[in-house]
Amino acid sequence: MATTSPSLARAAELRRRGRFHPGDAALHGVTLVAALGAVALLALIAWKVVDQARPAMHRFGLHFLVSNTWDPGVHQVFGAAAFIFGTAVTSLGALLIAGPLSIAIALFLTELAPRWLRGPIGTLVEMLAAVPSVVVGLWGILVMGPFVANHLEPWLKHTFGFLPLFGGDPSIFGLLPAILVLTIMITPIVSSVSRELFLGVPQDLKEGALALGTTRWEMIRGVVLPYARSGIAAALILGLGRAVGEAIAVTQVIGGNVAIHWSLFRPGDTLASRIASQYQGATTKLQVGSIAYLATILLVFSLVANVVAQAIVRKVARRQPLIR
Amino acid sequence: MRTRGVISTVGLALVVTAATAAASLAGTARQSATNLRGAGSSFVAPLVAQWQSNYKGASVDYNPIGSGGGIAAITARTVDFGASDAPLSKDEFAACKGCVQIPWALSATSIPYNLDLGRRLKLSGKVLAGIYLGQIKTWNDKRIQALNKGLKLPSTKITPVYRSDNSGTSYNFTDYLSSVNATWKSKIGVGTNAKWPAGIGAPKSNGVAAAVSQTKGAIGYVDVAYAIKNHLPFAAVQNAAGQYILPGNVGIKAAAATVSKVPSSNAISIVNPPSSQRSAYPICTFTYVILPLKTSKAADLRKFVFWALTNGQQYGPRLRFVPIPNKVLGASEKTLKRVHS
Repeated sequence: MATTSPSLARAAELRRRGRFHPGDAALHGVTLVAALGAVALLALIAWKVVDQARPAMHRFGLHFLVSNTWDPGVHQVFGAAAFIFGTAVTSLGALLIAGPLSIAIALFLTELAPRWLRGPIGTLVEMLAAVPSVVVGLWGILVMGPFVANHLEPWLKHTFGFLPLFGGDPSIFGLLPAILVLTIMITPIVSSVSRELFLGVPQDLKEGALALGTTRWEMIRGVVLPYARSGIAAALILGLGRAVGEAIAVTQVIGGNVAIHWSLFRPGDTLASRIASQYQGATTKLQVGSIAYLATILLVFSLVANVVAQAIVRKVARRQPLIR
Repeated sequence: MRTRGVISTVGLALVVTAATAAASLAGTARQSATNLRGAGSSFVAPLVAQWQSNYKGASVDYNPIGSGGGIAAITARTVDFGASDAPLSKDEFAACKGCVQIPWALSATSIPYNLDLGRRLKLSGKVLAGIYLGQIKTWNDKRIQALNKGLKLPSTKITPVYRSDNSGTSYNFTDYLSSVNATWKSKIGVGTNAKWPAGIGAPKSNGVAAAVSQTKGAIGYVDVAYAIKNHLPFAAVQNAAGQYILPGNVGIKAAAATVSKVPSSNAISIVNPPSSQRSAYPICTFTYVILPLKTSKAADLRKFVFWALTNGQQYGPRLRFVPIPNKVLGASEKTLKRVHS
């Protein structure tokens, strides 16, 4: 109190005299620079990436997007189809597992768990996001990979082997290990955002539903989930963005192979993983250009995903009866 | 409960920050003497690590980010020296603007495998190419059996493992396969990476070693020091004289003895040496240090690299690096003298 009142008095006096407010001007300046800086940085990155990609764009054109060849050897022919496919399969696969799992975790932590358990479990799930991706990848090779190859994949093959997804020979490297690693990395993000959303559901709505004689599950289905719907969609898109952009951990477990196939057991590669593994020391201008071309695709994809996400959130929010 | 989560996350961040700060403080303390920073080949990394503790003229930092990374780093001049197992390509020489490459160590690429055989596996270049081309698919294939008479080979599927990042070890290996197999040479060729027709990719030498050790029936290629460190058995490979040779000091020395003259670029290939050297291991490589011709640290760099080329070689054999032969040493020293400030 003693320290604030003189400065408050001074501010009031300055206002009375109608003088310039240096604090406000500084705040305005600093925030403007920060905002413009972020925009400028993005523009510079985009320009540099596209500039580097020019030799490959000139040589391969849009055919690059559908060509399934990556030959840095004698022929120097490059194409992105296999990596676009691998990115789509691994990130959607991870989202398919992580989505329900994260919502279940968030529901448990907000509605079902005993109060003393919520803090520790919530913290531990968030800690999962603090594990560096290179460590997750290493764990993927040494611990998860052998488990997947010796137990999970043989079981999947035995039970669902009639599906092309689970055909092929079990291996510690492949699309499935990559999906699992990505699941581990996006679950903390999606679940902690969902938990905040569920905590934001007004208590009186929930109690009202329970008072009308609904079961806990009916209350969750009828009140909590619809209330948080648009937020969950946004959380899932956030997770998708993380999955699409993750490079190092995926590089370590996906098996760096240029191929399009439906077996989750076989190796593949993603856009981000190919960029991470082959940008350094690419030997020709065309190879560097092709890798920058991959980065351009990734950049455009993130832009589209963001715009779509915002559209979804807006649309779902408008449809919602519970929030105005 | 939410605040507790935030507090623990902040706590973790603080610990990490403190550790980083301590590490960078330690870094500045060491920089009182001249500091030489290098990056590149993971193949030569075990030997450079040994040199770091034995060389007293300057403190040497080395970051084993792979040969490709080393070339990129010295081209951008973010390090004082780069290291690569593959000689620079024409594009790379041009991009590096006034760089020289100097052979400074010599070792071999081993062929580790994951099979319990009771006896060491024998392979030939033709069979290796067949495996990596995806033509030989199981271990009991008669082409492998023919080289290993009396050994009971299982019907396990062969999983060839290759480097997914750009690597000098891949250069050495594809250089060898190209020299023994025409299909490989015309379809795939020599390079720090390739259009691999079969198998799975793993990043860095450690990644390949881990992949081989975790996959039954896998075969790979890594610097012999990594195979030994990871307790992986490696194959005896048939040379031009028809002998099955291990990547040991004797085999590497014999392969290097075939160098008759060093070209002005200093790029030397010693894979698949002629049959006159009966005990030569066929997949050996020189590995290079890349220096800028004009650098403010010229005197310290010359001193360090000269020491590595001479005194430094004595630390090699324990790590399966063989002292470089005199002919190559002469060329290296001559090139080194051109580095100036």
